[in-house]
Amino acid sequence: MRLKDKVAVITGGAQGIGRATALMMGREGAKIVVADLQGEKAQAVSNELKALGAESLSVAVDVASESSVKQMAKATFDRFGRVDILANIAGIYFPKKSVVDLTEEDWDRTMNINLGSNFLCCREFVPAMRQQKSGRIISVASGIGHYGMRQFSHYAASKAAIMGFVKSLAREIGPDGITVNAICPGSANTAMPRQHRSEEEVLERLKATPLPHILEPEDIAGSITFLASDAAKFITGQSYNINSGNYMFG
Amino acid sequence: MSQVALITGGGGGIGGAVAQRMAAADITVVIADYDGGAAEKVKGEVVASGGKADALAIDVTVAREVKAVVTDVAKRYGRIDILANIAGGSRFTKRIEEFTWAEWKEVIDANLKGTFLMCREVAPIMQKQKSGRIMNTASNYGVTGSALRTPYAASKAGIITFTKSLALELAPDNILANTVAPGPTDTPRVMAHESPEARKQRWWPNIPMGRTALPEDLAEMYYFLTTPESAAITGQVFHVNGGVVMP
Repeated sequence: MRLKDKVAVITGGAQGIGRATALMMGREGAKIVVADLQGEKAQAVSNELKALGAESLSVAVDVASESSVKQMAKATFDRFGRVDILANIAGIYFPKKSVVDLTEEDWDRTMNINLGSNFLCCREFVPAMRQQKSGRIISVASGIGHYGMRQFSHYAASKAAIMGFVKSLAREIGPDGITVNAICPGSANTAMPRQHRSEEEVLERLKATPLPHILEPEDIAGSITFLASDAAKFITGQSYNINSGNYMFG
Repeated sequence: MSQVALITGGGGGIGGAVAQRMAAADITVVIADYDGGAAEKVKGEVVASGGKADALAIDVTVAREVKAVVTDVAKRYGRIDILANIAGGSRFTKRIEEFTWAEWKEVIDANLKGTFLMCREVAPIMQKQKSGRIMNTASNYGVTGSALRTPYAASKAGIITFTKSLALELAPDNILANTVAPGPTDTPRVMAHESPEARKQRWWPNIPMGRTALPEDLAEMYYFLTTPESAAITGQVFHVNGGVVMP
C-alpha cells in the first residue's frame, strides 16, 4: 500500500474525479476526509470507503467560504490529528457564456470556487505540513487552462491561474519538504460535460482522442495518487496533462 | 507472463535505476548499453536482487546494429512491451563557434538519432502486439535551452517533439509514447566531473526541493509510465527536477 496511514483531504470528493481519487487513495491505505458541498453524497463516498476497510470522515464544505474551509480543517485535525495530502478537486464549469455576457457575479463565483478554494484550503493545511516537514498538494487544473475554450473564458482563466498558484507555492514550500503539483485532465467521463451536452455528444467527444481510451475518472485519480505517493517526492511545480493524447503541451 | 522492457543506457546511472525499479515489479529487463561491461554489471545487480535481466552491447547511432539487436531481443522473448530510451548525453561544454561539425553531429546522433532508430525498430513489434509503452528521455534544457550546450539542448527539444509526433502516430495501436525530462541528477558519470561540494553550491540554492535528483527519483517516473494507472497518458512531458524548472 503506497499511502499507508497518510491522512488525505479530498475536496470535491463526492463525485467524479474526486470520488475516484478518494476511493483509490483509500485502497492504498490512506485515511480520507471526503469534503464536498454536497454533504449527503460525501457521506455516501465515506461509507463506500469504510466498506473497503479505510478510515474516513465526510465534511460538508463550501470551499469558497473562509469560515467553512476553517471548519473543514478543524474537523480534519480533530479526527485525525494531522494532514499529509491535500487534493484540491472541487470546482465548477458553468455558466457557458460569451465574455460580453458574463456578469461580475458569474466571474467572481468561478474564480472563488475554482481558484480561491486553492488559496483557502492551502492556507489552512500548509502550516501543519510545514511543521511535520512533509506534505503533498495536488490541484486539478484543466487542459482548457492551456488552450482556452470559447464561452468558458472565466473557467479557462481560473484553471490557468491554478497553475501559476501551484508553481509559486511549490517554490515557497519546497524547502519544507512539501511538493505542489497540478493535474490537467482532458474531457473525462464524468457528470460535468453532461451538464451541457447530450449523452451521444459526450460519448462522441470522449472517443475522439488519438488514443482509443475513454478518459475515466480513475485515469486522473491514478496520476493524483502517484503524485501523493513516496515515488513522486522529487516532483514539484509541474502541471501534468492526462488526456488520452488529446493535446500535448510543455 | 512477465512484461519485457528494453532499456538503452541501461548501464548508466538513470538507466540502471530504471532497470532495478522495473525488475522489482517483475518486469524482465534487457539492459542495453554502449559499454557492454556496464550493462553486465547492472544485470548482475538486478539478478542479485531477484530480478530477471539480460545484458547486451549496442551503439544506438548505428542503424544496422539497432536493427540486429531489436530483432534478436524480439526473437528471444517473443515480445517487447516497454522501450525506455535513456542512452545519450554530451561531453561538450563550449561556445557555438568552437563546435566542429563532427562534434555537433556526435551529440545530435547520440540523443536524437539514437532515439529515432530505436523507436523505428521497436514500433512495428508493438504495433503487432497492439500494445506498448515508449519512454524517451529529454532534459529540462530541452525546454529552457542552455548556454554552451547548443547541440545538446537542440537534441533534447527534438526528442520532445519527436515523441509527441510518435504518440499521435502510434495511438491507434494502443502504444503510448511519453518523454521524461530529468533536471540535474547525481549519476556516476556526472559526479566523476564535479565534487559533491561544488555541485551542492552550484545547484541546491536554485532547487525548491533543496537537492539534486537521485537516479531513483527518475526511475519512479519511468516505472509509473508502464503501469495501468498511466493508460490514458501519451505525448506528454514529465519533468522530474525538484522544481528547478516549471514549464
